[in-house]
Amino acid sequence: MNVTSLETFSLVAPEIVLVLAALVAYLGGAFAGLRFGWLVAAAGIVAAMSVTRGQAADAAFSAGISVDPFSTYIRWTVLGLGLLLCLVQSGDLFAAAVSRGPGLHRGSTCEEAGTFLLLLAGLSLVGVAGDLVLLFAGLELVSIPTYILLGLKRTDARGQEASLKYFFLSLVASAIFLYALVCLYGIGGSTDLGAIAARLNAEATGRTAQALLPLAIGLGVVGAAFRLAAVPMHFYAPDVYEGTSPGNAALLSTLPKVAGIVVLARLLALVGPAASPDLLWRIVVVLAAVTMTVGNVMALWQSNLRRLLACSSIAHAGYLLVGIAAAAAPSISPRLLTTGGLSATLFYLATYAIATIGVFGAIAYLGHRWPEWTSGSGPRPPREEIATVDDLDGLSGTNPVAAFAIAVFLLSLAGIPPLPGFWGKLALAISALEVDGTAAIELGSRRAWFVGLAVLLVLNAAIAAAYYLRIIAAMYFKTTKRGVQADGGLSAGVAMLVCLVLVGLVTIRPRSLLSAASRAGESLVPHVAAPSANLPDPTDTVAAR
Amino acid sequence: MNGFSPSSHLLLTIAAPLVGAVIAWLIGSRGVSAVRQSAAVTTLVTLALAAWLIVRYLADPATASGLPYGLVEFPWLTEGIFDVRFSLGLDGLSLWMFGLAALLSVTAVFVSWDAIKDRPVGFYVLLLVLEAAMLGVFAARDVILFYVFFEFTLVPLFFLIGIWGHDERRRAAVKFFIYTLTGSVLTFLGLLTIVLWHAAHANVVTFDIESLVDGTKIHPLPMTAAGGWLQMVVFLALLAGFAVKVPIVPLHTWLPLAHVEAPTGGSVDLAGVLLKLGIYGFLRFSMPMLPEATAVAAPWLFGLGVAGIVYGALVALVQTDLKRLIAYSSVSHMGYIVMGLFALTPVATEGANLQLVNHGLSSAGLFALVGMIYERFHTRNIASLGGIASKAPWLAVFFMLFTFSSIGLPGLNGFVGEFMILLGSFQRAWSGVSPAWQFAYLVMALLAVAGVVLGAWYMLWAVERAIFGGSREPPRTSGHGHDAGHGGHGGHGAAGTDHDRCDLRWYELCAVLPLAVFVFWIGLTPATFLAPAAPAVRKATAAPAAAFAARMQAETTATVARITTP
Repeated sequence: MNVTSLETFSLVAPEIVLVLAALVAYLGGAFAGLRFGWLVAAAGIVAAMSVTRGQAADAAFSAGISVDPFSTYIRWTVLGLGLLLCLVQSGDLFAAAVSRGPGLHRGSTCEEAGTFLLLLAGLSLVGVAGDLVLLFAGLELVSIPTYILLGLKRTDARGQEASLKYFFLSLVASAIFLYALVCLYGIGGSTDLGAIAARLNAEATGRTAQALLPLAIGLGVVGAAFRLAAVPMHFYAPDVYEGTSPGNAALLSTLPKVAGIVVLARLLALVGPAASPDLLWRIVVVLAAVTMTVGNVMALWQSNLRRLLACSSIAHAGYLLVGIAAAAAPSISPRLLTTGGLSATLFYLATYAIATIGVFGAIAYLGHRWPEWTSGSGPRPPREEIATVDDLDGLSGTNPVAAFAIAVFLLSLAGIPPLPGFWGKLALAISALEVDGTAAIELGSRRAWFVGLAVLLVLNAAIAAAYYLRIIAAMYFKTTKRGVQADGGLSAGVAMLVCLVLVGLVTIRPRSLLSAASRAGESLVPHVAAPSANLPDPTDTVAAR
Repeated sequence: MNGFSPSSHLLLTIAAPLVGAVIAWLIGSRGVSAVRQSAAVTTLVTLALAAWLIVRYLADPATASGLPYGLVEFPWLTEGIFDVRFSLGLDGLSLWMFGLAALLSVTAVFVSWDAIKDRPVGFYVLLLVLEAAMLGVFAARDVILFYVFFEFTLVPLFFLIGIWGHDERRRAAVKFFIYTLTGSVLTFLGLLTIVLWHAAHANVVTFDIESLVDGTKIHPLPMTAAGGWLQMVVFLALLAGFAVKVPIVPLHTWLPLAHVEAPTGGSVDLAGVLLKLGIYGFLRFSMPMLPEATAVAAPWLFGLGVAGIVYGALVALVQTDLKRLIAYSSVSHMGYIVMGLFALTPVATEGANLQLVNHGLSSAGLFALVGMIYERFHTRNIASLGGIASKAPWLAVFFMLFTFSSIGLPGLNGFVGEFMILLGSFQRAWSGVSPAWQFAYLVMALLAVAGVVLGAWYMLWAVERAIFGGSREPPRTSGHGHDAGHGGHGGHGAAGTDHDRCDLRWYELCAVLPLAVFVFWIGLTPATFLAPAAPAVRKATAAPAAAFAARMQAETTATVARITTP
């Protein structure tokens, strides 16, 4: 594949646009006002979107860059989420600007916007990376801006603790992941993913591969688990979310998860058909089961809103892993036309991210509230940031739109039909039940593992409903005299409303998103599927009825 | 109006409450009375549409042969393995439940007329959304669409209980939601397993309920050790959700709490329609799709039904709260329906199917009247009530009527259903089971008969204490004290107007009168209501009944062989 360097540049044009926009934001920040940075960021993202749109969607390989439906889907996800997060993050700006409190830092927003754009560029690169080095570089380009954003946003002790905690753990996770890459290089003798896959297929029983592959799989999964906030690298999430702003929490609960899913998907594509396929799905099944249960059970006891959502994001990482596990154990019944596990995960990722950003956007938008105070009982105490579930008491009376939006997002996260979260869980449950779909459920068989996983998935959805309902009950069933400020800035409110509209669209037409996710998943992990001629045309069945 | 096709008629009927909900929300600023009037008009229009649809259904000769009526179909999620369609239609199983949902929604609006002062817009909007979901769930012809409506009914009811309920409303709302959700997610997996099994073996991906019923006849789920007892596993998964909904006895604990804490309108919908979803699920999915597993489970579920009858009745007997008593009587009466369903004889299953409607009418009527009593006397404690018959004679008349309907007085609707269920159960016990089961079946059937006596006891005893007897608690609306001997004819004037104020008002009459009409109608001409449903019920239960008969035959043969061989 001889491609000129100019063509290579054109393949990563969206990322280049993002980096250029970041430079504009950095340099222009010296001259322009507070709002400038996020305007540049939004413009940069939109420009990157238009460039992505112009690119051909068919697979193009060049120097470790693969532009295929999978990476295009990831790009669109990243850019779409980036635009939403941009709105939420600039909402943080206003909260910081009006607050005289000690913990929140004023200014520095242009730098924040630039850093945020670099993060998006890194994530987008992870999506297109077809090479170990580029993959790792992209991941680091995600991590380093994250440290900066975490550190910039809050300067009180708790904020510092959060950013340090994230920093050190992220370093450890990166190191672990690097070992996995080293092992893969050792097997393949090349940094190119395609070359490694070819080598794995050619000598699946070779001694080097036999020894190194399990190690690579294990280390790679652990490295990805940190990004996903999945067990065993999940414990930082509640502390870090609590110690940062709602905007950063929204960022942390979505963008790193995208990176984690991409890494797992690439790993899957690499070793799926190769030497020890049993190992990968067993690890992922166990991780998925433990992660969702741990996340949900932890969440049951939280009273701090951001801690609660952190635990819920751990649980959702577990749900995401269900699809990965199913994709790692391809079905042995090729007659079935399937929507593979990876597609289900990619679909679920989008539905989860929209609802999560919506919730955090709403929290950022609500901002502060007045404490309990009656005139005559001394000076009015300062306003408090909305932090606990109790702070949302009676929100349906004081801010009905935000209360309604939060309720819809939470019901979607809980998987109540017909909201997007339900369609996502439906896709995941089907992908898990499909594994060896025709075999008997015998103890210890692969089918039994996956049926058990599906049962755990839906039971966890019921557990999760308990704490989501607690928030909804606080908003709707309680009354309060403490007014909510809604001083978080209009843009966060806009983000909330946009997410609400997106939730509505996916509810009515889940098909568009699912078919995009399905194409993306198929392109990376082709599923053993019957030719579509095997199935009657949908229009025919209608007519037959 | 021949141009008005049944399909658009059905769609319009289900959409009407949603349109009404939007209207109620838009005119919310005009105050309580505008909102409740619009809600009442909406439910009445929906009822008229539903009634007209039912008339058209009955007039159409094609429906007698079991063809679904008024098909609506749009693709919703057709991608890869998914072929989810927004597909609606009525058939014999769903016809009366569909009508019942429309009828009880009117009742739910009118019983809330004066009771709901706090945030009325939200209340009526949720009530109308709930109505749309209830109509939709019975009309759904797609597995996923059914599940969507099935689960979605929880959301409005959660808010109705949690916001407008009584003292412990928050706990009741959350418990109700979690309990039913936990059960139904397992049902969800069971349904998906059926779909996938069918897709793998028939090579056609379909989520259409009818196609799945036909498909599982050709490719039944394995009921052997080699097949991993898949059919039984799926049956148990479906049972988890349906048994919670009914509720079948060990899983009933959410029901009294939810009923007692719910506002009257919510109780009416919950008792009248939503409890029936469990039974409807058995008839729609478990029985036709998993006949062998149903046959294996039938004796146990029959027994659990009887346990529910007796347990519910005994617990109802000791209740001091009138609403709680009726909630437990629901447990008892749903026990009859479960028992009739799993007796698996044509008479019993048809009776059980009719009893769904009957119980919907009588329990909804009783809950509505208890709500009215509570509004007047601000207590539901039986010991504090009394003498209602003299203060509110019409209320007492209706209370007596629904009580008699509930305990199965001949001539009223409850009698028909209960009689058919017991008759069918005795048929089963007498000649339909193997000798090993016969004794157990006879005992259970006799216990169920004892349950009838218990039912009459607790209901009539409660009526005697609460409705008749001396007055203990004066109505709050009255400024005067009423002593025990104060009849309706003594002092007119101020006391007389108090009595007038205390009796049913026009909107309360609107709430219960339609139900009373049907109580008599079904009681006097049950065939009108049995006939349209009978073919569908028989079709749904034929396969499990045959499987049950085969199983009993095999057991009998085995027993005979054991006795005859030395």
